Amino acid sequence: MSIKKKYILLFVLPALTLYVTFVIYPFIYSFILSFYRWPGAGARTFVGLQNFKDVLFGSFGSEFRNAFLHNIYYFILVTILELGLGFLLAIFLVSIVKGKRFFQMMVYLPNIISMILVGFIWSMMLNPQIGLVNQILNHIGLGVLARPWLGDPNLALNTVIAVNVWRNLGFYVLVFTASLLDIPRELLEAAYIDGASNFKVITKILFPLTLPTFQTLSILLFIWTFNVFDIVYALEGAQAGPFRSTDVLGTLFYRTAFGGLGSSRADFGLGAAVAVLIFVVVMPLSLVYAYIVDRRSRNA
Amino acid sequence: MLKVGKLGKWTIYIVLTIYVVLIATPFTMIFINSFKSLREIFLSPFSLPSSFNIQNYVEAWKSANLFNAYINSFLISTLSVGGILVLSSMLAYVISRYEFPFRRTIYLFIIVGLALPARLAIIPIYVMLDNFNLLDTRTGLIVVYIATGISFATFLMKRFMDGIPKEIEESARIDGASPWTIFLKIAIPLTRPAMIVVGLVNFVGIWNDFFFPLIIINSRNKETVPLAISIFFGEFSNKWQLISAALSLSVLPIMIIFFLLSRYFIAGMTEGAIK
Repeated sequence: MSIKKKYILLFVLPALTLYVTFVIYPFIYSFILSFYRWPGAGARTFVGLQNFKDVLFGSFGSEFRNAFLHNIYYFILVTILELGLGFLLAIFLVSIVKGKRFFQMMVYLPNIISMILVGFIWSMMLNPQIGLVNQILNHIGLGVLARPWLGDPNLALNTVIAVNVWRNLGFYVLVFTASLLDIPRELLEAAYIDGASNFKVITKILFPLTLPTFQTLSILLFIWTFNVFDIVYALEGAQAGPFRSTDVLGTLFYRTAFGGLGSSRADFGLGAAVAVLIFVVVMPLSLVYAYIVDRRSRNA
Repeated sequence: MLKVGKLGKWTIYIVLTIYVVLIATPFTMIFINSFKSLREIFLSPFSLPSSFNIQNYVEAWKSANLFNAYINSFLISTLSVGGILVLSSMLAYVISRYEFPFRRTIYLFIIVGLALPARLAIIPIYVMLDNFNLLDTRTGLIVVYIATGISFATFLMKRFMDGIPKEIEESARIDGASPWTIFLKIAIPLTRPAMIVVGLVNFVGIWNDFFFPLIIINSRNKETVPLAISIFFGEFSNKWQLISAALSLSVLPIMIIFFLLSRYFIAGMTEGAIK
């Protein structure tokens, strides 16, 4: 018995120690730091709820609300586009035989490229002087549609979202493909024998049976949206220009904690308060996700 | 899956082809521009380069510090993945095979980390690395990657091990083999498919990561590929021919690996996130 206990400790402790030290403990530490004012070095000053007041209602209030609303907008648009188009393209993919593997591979290709590199590639594509997007539009006589895609405050966030969809859509296509292929063929055969149209098959069989996938993916998308940073940083910089029109909580958090030029007050305590607020929004969904994953793996 | 007629098939192929063109165009553009002069990029955007001059590549390779960055990215990704695989397979193994106090609690505790954005905890991570003198070191980055990779790896490997029959291990145990021997000689070889998936998913994720190097690494000789490109992009803005070459140099190797191993990638990535 004692030998077994020793072995269990030997197997469990290394991973658990590292996980607690660098994943769990930092979250607790963030909560503590959020009550202090601390420029990162020197003494900390306990300020109570002051950081939260500043972030929510005070000097940072409008900036925080601006970024938060962008996150919500981002989430809604990305969910509709990535899940909607992903589902549709997956149906296309599973309905063909020839070239299926080629299309699968190509669709997934952008996903293996770093988001920051994708951002740089697209900032070239969208550049007002040499960008291919405007040049193509001019070339085919649609010059009136040419825009400063990244420079117009009314367009910039949508452009960022479009680039995000360009990179990530393939992932959702493949997840839906896998989930569609799990559906028993006999169900479809029976429906077709009963004279169902493709539209009916999609809406009455394929969609309801992939609904769990939709749910799981929307939960993940919500969490991931609050993680968005790289793409904004690559396309619009840490200042999330023009005029903060592409600012999200990820970039706001970066600026408050690590300065990032021109932030009015870089402070670890204030940054921690921003992190805690994001955490409060995201944590319930992280728990729901853990619950779903656990339940599913026990049923399997 | 759907029964589609001739017209339907055509529609599907046309839509998929347009999508593939949309994906291929930006990559093709940086690749073509990487051989052009800046003048050519401005004046004849749609033509092929007048000569396949590799001068841009030579210059970009040197000024973007890419040799160094490639070595760092490779070292950091490989060692992190190694660490994740060793620690997580051990943890997954005892959770899957042994009854012990708090087993389920520990498992759930690990699972919670699956969807916890580690970036949110970057301030304490930064402070702790500073205290351990690991700030601006590759080791610091590796430690963070291993710690944040444990949840996903443990979850996937535990689930995979649950599906492996226990009989072989039982008979080895009766023959007097220690748990450590059974783990190394029997469990690990049987878990190889799951380890490939976990290894690949983590390798790509760490290779591509930008946020942690941005915060943790300060010295140019320790930077990773995404960080090197980001600095290059800032310093050489408007020298599009060099930027194109640098981007090609950072994108092409990953693409080649992807085309060679696409089967594992596609299985691994979708498997990982959802099921």
